[in-house]
Amino acid sequence: MQTADSGAGRPPLLEARGLSKRYGATQALDSLDLAIEPGEVYCLLGPNGAGKTTTINLFLGFVSPSGGQALVSGMDVSTHDRETKHRLAYIPEQVMLYRNLSGLENLEYFAALGGKGSLGRERLADILVEAGLERDAVDRRVSEYSKGMRQKVGIAIAMAKEADALLLDEPTSGLDPKASNEFSALIERLRHGGVAVLMATHDLFRAKETGTRVGIMRYGSLVTELGTDEIGHADLERVYLEHMHD
Amino acid sequence: MIRHSIRHIIRKEFSDVLRDGRFRWCSVLVGALLLVSLGHGWVQAREAQREHAAAQATARDHWESQGEKNPHSAAHYGIYAFKPRLALSFVDEGVDPYTGTSVWLEAHRQNDFLLRPAQDATSAQRIGALTAAQVLQHLVPLLIILLTFGALAGERERGTLRQLLSTGVGRRDLALGKALGIAGALALLLVPAAAVGAAALVVGSPGPAASPVARAAVLAVVYLVYFAAFLALSLAVSAWARSTRTVLVILLGVWVVNGLVAPRVAVDLSKWMHPTPSALEFARTVEREMASGTEDIPRPDNDALTEDLLTEYGVERVEDLPINQSGVLLQASEEFGDRIFDRNYGALWDTFERQGAVHELVAVAAPLLAVRALSMGLAGTDVEQHRHFASAAETYRRDLMRRMNGDLTENSRSGDFSYQAGAELWESTPPLRYDAPTLGWVLGNRILSLVVLGGWLAGTILIAAARVRRAEVT
Repeated sequence: MQTADSGAGRPPLLEARGLSKRYGATQALDSLDLAIEPGEVYCLLGPNGAGKTTTINLFLGFVSPSGGQALVSGMDVSTHDRETKHRLAYIPEQVMLYRNLSGLENLEYFAALGGKGSLGRERLADILVEAGLERDAVDRRVSEYSKGMRQKVGIAIAMAKEADALLLDEPTSGLDPKASNEFSALIERLRHGGVAVLMATHDLFRAKETGTRVGIMRYGSLVTELGTDEIGHADLERVYLEHMHD
Repeated sequence: MIRHSIRHIIRKEFSDVLRDGRFRWCSVLVGALLLVSLGHGWVQAREAQREHAAAQATARDHWESQGEKNPHSAAHYGIYAFKPRLALSFVDEGVDPYTGTSVWLEAHRQNDFLLRPAQDATSAQRIGALTAAQVLQHLVPLLIILLTFGALAGERERGTLRQLLSTGVGRRDLALGKALGIAGALALLLVPAAAVGAAALVVGSPGPAASPVARAAVLAVVYLVYFAAFLALSLAVSAWARSTRTVLVILLGVWVVNGLVAPRVAVDLSKWMHPTPSALEFARTVEREMASGTEDIPRPDNDALTEDLLTEYGVERVEDLPINQSGVLLQASEEFGDRIFDRNYGALWDTFERQGAVHELVAVAAPLLAVRALSMGLAGTDVEQHRHFASAAETYRRDLMRRMNGDLTENSRSGDFSYQAGAELWESTPPLRYDAPTLGWVLGNRILSLVVLGGWLAGTILIAAARVRRAEVT
């Protein structure tokens, strides 16, 4: 497992150090340690309640840790909320947008809040198209969009932000296979651009295809970690099921 | 300096509110009611002032042209005094409909005020009498609630709050941007109304000056503080509650308590703590004390007074006095009555003021009561300013009686019932000149309300800041 200050002396883009979260009597996350470098796609696999979304919420500062630290480029999320969020982009399972605005207007708003207000409408429209949205859908109200189209706006929001790290929470859930493949291709492109990606998913196939490393979580703990180069689809499924039945 | 992100939030919130059909309809309705009530109040105040001025001139004319008569008959003939409507009374008519605006000044009596519209109004008319103050105190807060209840709870319910906060915008910036955006939309409604009010003040002030611009400026600040407190409270609840439905129910509950329950409670509580006699009881007490005096205020002893006069002038008989004994006895009777009136009316006014203080204290639970007290005070229509005028009118009455009795004493002899004074005396009596209290006097009477209202603003902002900081994302 990689630790802080790896690579060329710089801290990892995303790092968890003994990261824990307790909700009352429930230990949602227990001493998680992980580090994700630029150009890495780390997939967190596990059943519901394993702690995947909690991990992402902790990196986003949506919840406070009960112990340990969530670090972005070496900065603690708890004490550097604004600075760390500006280095992060986030795509949830269901991208929720303003239904009364068009896809482009939504992107304009979120990009402006993310510090990219200087991008013009044309550039933003291009980003939407790059994210996979049809050109003629750009100016349509989001209330007319399918879930897949909304996810693409979410991807465009992340792309426009030009963040160093991407947090994805079940991003392909509910997408058709074509849209999922397009999404994987996009992640691949971002990865090659040096973006660090942390993706929570149930989808073993997508994790193997998209990820560079896979961590399997159960009951709030990281039970094993594998490099996707080291293992095939069938082996990944076998290892996953073994850990689920322990 | 407003951060860039806050400006975007303000712009989005502002345009969202403007696009919202509910806001358009509500603001048209509230705006129309505000403008109509301002216009109606102004016309009514102006008309009342004109009528009062005309009536005052007529009363003065009647006084001066009453012909030759005994000064004591003139004292009984009396004169009317009319409370002037101050410039801002068209915004808030306060207690005027209940206390009356004119009083008959005559010998031996401190009369109640007359011209009380509430006395003649039916129940329906009382409900229907909408003033600009009522729109500002009741309907604008309701509009603020309707605009704000979904500000954060709605974002959370839609799932957009996660998306928003993930961009790096802080919770406080988000709440501040939303508050300012909503305030901007409200300004579209309130600024024109304020401009109309200011124009009405400048173009044709209905009443005497009494620093109307300063009073209007303070009144505007008072209402802005009230609205800001409601906005902060609405944001706090929107940040705290799990669903928009819960937020709306809580805020409507607050609105009902603030606007309907608390004023009623304040009235009942203040009456219970500081009971006042009924008008009939009060009149009977004054009548009884006037008839027989009291232990500490005995009726004047006419025999002793006469003896004193005989001694003073060194004569044996009343007929030999160089003055009219009746004038001295009448003045003594007036001064006895004044003490009775001072005690009874003073106690009554003090009770009213103690009741007012209870209202101001209940404002800790309902800011409306603080705003109402300040609004009436600045409009010159509160109980204190009614008392201020009543005192001035009573002082004038006493001076008038002193002049009449003095003339009778000095210019006639005891037993001379044929003496008559003329226009020279009536005209030498100056008319009532009333200076309305200054702004400092008004605010000095309302320090408690100012503190409570300021406390509401500070408290709601602090609560909103705390709730927003801890707002759940999901």
